[in-house]
Amino acid sequence: MKDTSPPVTSGLRDTELDDATLDRLLKKTWETPKGLYGWLATVDHKAIGRRYIVTAFIFFLLAGLAAVAMRLQLAVPENQLVGPDLYNQLFTMHGTTMMFLFAVPIMEAFGVYLVPLMIGTRNIAFPRLNAFSYWVYLSGGIMLWVAFALNTGADAGWFSYVPLAGPEFGVGKRSDFWAQMVTFTEVAGLAVAVEIIATIFKQRAPGMSLDRIPIFVWSMLVTSFVILFAMPAVMIASTMLILDRLVGTHFFNPAEGGDALLWQHLFWFFGHPEVYIIFIPATGFVSAIIPTFVRRPMFGHLAIVLALISIGFLSFGLWVHHMFATGLPQLGESFFTASSMAIAIPSGLQIFCWIATIWGGRPIFKTPMLFVLGFIVTFVLGGLTGVMVASVPLDLQVHDTYFVVAHFHYVLVGGAVFPLLGAVHYWYPKVTGRMMGEQLGLWSFALIFIGFNATFFPMHILGLQGMPRRVYTYMPETGWAGTNLFVSLSSSLLVAGLILFAWNAVKSLKSGAAAGDNPWDAPTLEWATSSPPRSYNFSRIPVVSHREPLWAQRQFLDVVSGLRVDARELVSGTVADAAPQLREPSVDNSIWPFLSALAVGATFIGSIFTPWAVVWGGIPIAIGLIGWFWPKGNPEDEE
Amino acid sequence: MQFWLPTVFLVAIYRGQKSDAAMMRAIMLLALLVAPASCQREERDLTGSVPEKPAAGIEQSVLHPGDGNNPAPARSKYEETAFDVAEGKRLFQWFNCSGCHFNGGGGIGPALMDDKWFYGSSIENIVATIKEGRPNGMPSFKGLVPEKEVWQLAAYVRSVGGFVAKDVAPSRNDDLNAAPAENRAPTPSPFNGKGP
Repeated sequence: MKDTSPPVTSGLRDTELDDATLDRLLKKTWETPKGLYGWLATVDHKAIGRRYIVTAFIFFLLAGLAAVAMRLQLAVPENQLVGPDLYNQLFTMHGTTMMFLFAVPIMEAFGVYLVPLMIGTRNIAFPRLNAFSYWVYLSGGIMLWVAFALNTGADAGWFSYVPLAGPEFGVGKRSDFWAQMVTFTEVAGLAVAVEIIATIFKQRAPGMSLDRIPIFVWSMLVTSFVILFAMPAVMIASTMLILDRLVGTHFFNPAEGGDALLWQHLFWFFGHPEVYIIFIPATGFVSAIIPTFVRRPMFGHLAIVLALISIGFLSFGLWVHHMFATGLPQLGESFFTASSMAIAIPSGLQIFCWIATIWGGRPIFKTPMLFVLGFIVTFVLGGLTGVMVASVPLDLQVHDTYFVVAHFHYVLVGGAVFPLLGAVHYWYPKVTGRMMGEQLGLWSFALIFIGFNATFFPMHILGLQGMPRRVYTYMPETGWAGTNLFVSLSSSLLVAGLILFAWNAVKSLKSGAAAGDNPWDAPTLEWATSSPPRSYNFSRIPVVSHREPLWAQRQFLDVVSGLRVDARELVSGTVADAAPQLREPSVDNSIWPFLSALAVGATFIGSIFTPWAVVWGGIPIAIGLIGWFWPKGNPEDEE
Repeated sequence: MQFWLPTVFLVAIYRGQKSDAAMMRAIMLLALLVAPASCQREERDLTGSVPEKPAAGIEQSVLHPGDGNNPAPARSKYEETAFDVAEGKRLFQWFNCSGCHFNGGGGIGPALMDDKWFYGSSIENIVATIKEGRPNGMPSFKGLVPEKEVWQLAAYVRSVGGFVAKDVAPSRNDDLNAAPAENRAPTPSPFNGKGP
């Protein structure tokens, strides 16, 4: 580890530099060096955010292929294409990858990329932790899929209920890989949550008081707190599971004083907030896209922010509605029915605010806006079946049927993937400097919207006819064959739409129209810098005096000065008013987060096979962390 | 750099089609490239009876254990497959093997978790013992227990003795547990200088 920046005692400030000199010096200070070392050692939130997004989309592709395989198998009754053993792995890998390796990471990835830009700072808080989290996430995902390729794919469903996933019935190492994948992704997720909270609280541009924070940033803040309180539950649960399986503890063994339902409680105490970890940022996308495309500020800004916060709180009070079929006391079931229905109130409030904003504006129907409209329709349908399954009598009838499959695809694809695809179209010019093709965008939206509804709406009917989920085939006498064939054929439309979307994204990298700084004439700060943003984000840190800064000050933005240009520095302010307090140093690139992540990954994988890996793995991890935190001799706290 | 992942996936899909031997070999090659460990451990043969023929001569074996000239038998796939060993663990209770051998500690019948094997400790020996019976109490189960299940039982008995790899041996049951599970059993030391 060589420290390239010489210790500087009296730093050069940006106060009296002209723009060209300032950009040249800032570039020298903030740029990621070229080459493999720079690629591995970078702590630039934009590089890491891009990586996170691309990786998550690759996992989306893999999980999508698993779904295609399942639809091929279910197209006709008594199909022999995929056997029961592989089918179990396919649906588990599909669900696990979609939830743990795609949905949550990609929402966090957008936060990692966008939050520092939207609040006007130069890097995320704890940049090295950010790099570390990406490498941990990547190793967890690769581990799970390599295991699958070696016939060790998890096969007990994405929520891995015991005793099926437990030591007696989950034979082999399949569920251990699943449990360790959870540990990987949760370590990464918690790290990002902490960074985003610290960034939003302390690094906002001067003047960006709480009431001027963009709604997307609010949504990431709420999401991060939900992650912080939800994810430890599943980490503990998966650790207990692996201990039960590997060293014979009895956490989930009723005969020795454990409890099989403990798994379900711990898992869903995470699992239900997880849905909102995915959904809340998606509503943030929507709230960022709508004002830009209807040309007016959001109607009910305060109401939306309060709705986001109350969804965050309420999301912890619903988990038992996943467990209505376990024979809980009736009072508990009634309570959780009521709380499940209560969360429809803040969700509905948001939807009315969006509709009112669109109503009061002049909508421009570009692709991002189309996806938002598709989101509103689809999500409302999913919300309606959500209110249905929140009631115990109906839930007992449709539990574990395709009705539930239809419901949660409507809320997850409708509620999260549609806004996400809209967000990709919306921020693509900022990230790449080029626009995505509008014509292709229209076609991909039409195919995805029609394909999605034709694929998943009939599943409601299949579920009401009694088709259980997670069956690898069915008899012709059941009468489900026609609907299943229709579903399988429709899914090809959905796939075609997604392929068009991917083609559009790849093609536009090279041949898209040049975007300029603010192609949509959007109001938030990320559009105030160049596209793609330079390594230091902003030449001078902007001062915010309005909720829509780029609409309020169209000619020029006020800026602050006084930051050093020969060392990485950013402005740190008060939590409520963002009044500047400190010039806060920001760390340089480092290879140690990558090395530490390798050590952590090796330890986690080793602990699948022997508990001693935790002991021996502690040594390389300690070396990694010592290298990471070794004092550099920089006078960091001179202020 | 992540482009190899879809390839791995497509290969994994093809893995279901057992008839395609060339594809299977390609997969095995790829598996060897990706990770050194082979995954016989995770195979789940759900097709019913595919008995593995015991080596010729085992069934006529004399009553004394190996005289030192017998070549060590190849490890059977049953004792390398977690699913088969776990099935054997269930069958061990269902066929009431525990009636005499208890949970491996021995009672009316001899212990299975120590390092003393009167009739040989290889899986072929144990299969022969189950099928042919042995003097002084061990009945013959030939024709009573399906061939495949005999092999699964024998693989489980090997795991009770600690002869099966730790990542293949079964873990604890969701039940009262008097002793550590098979995946935590110590590997026995060689008996009379002969390996297990």
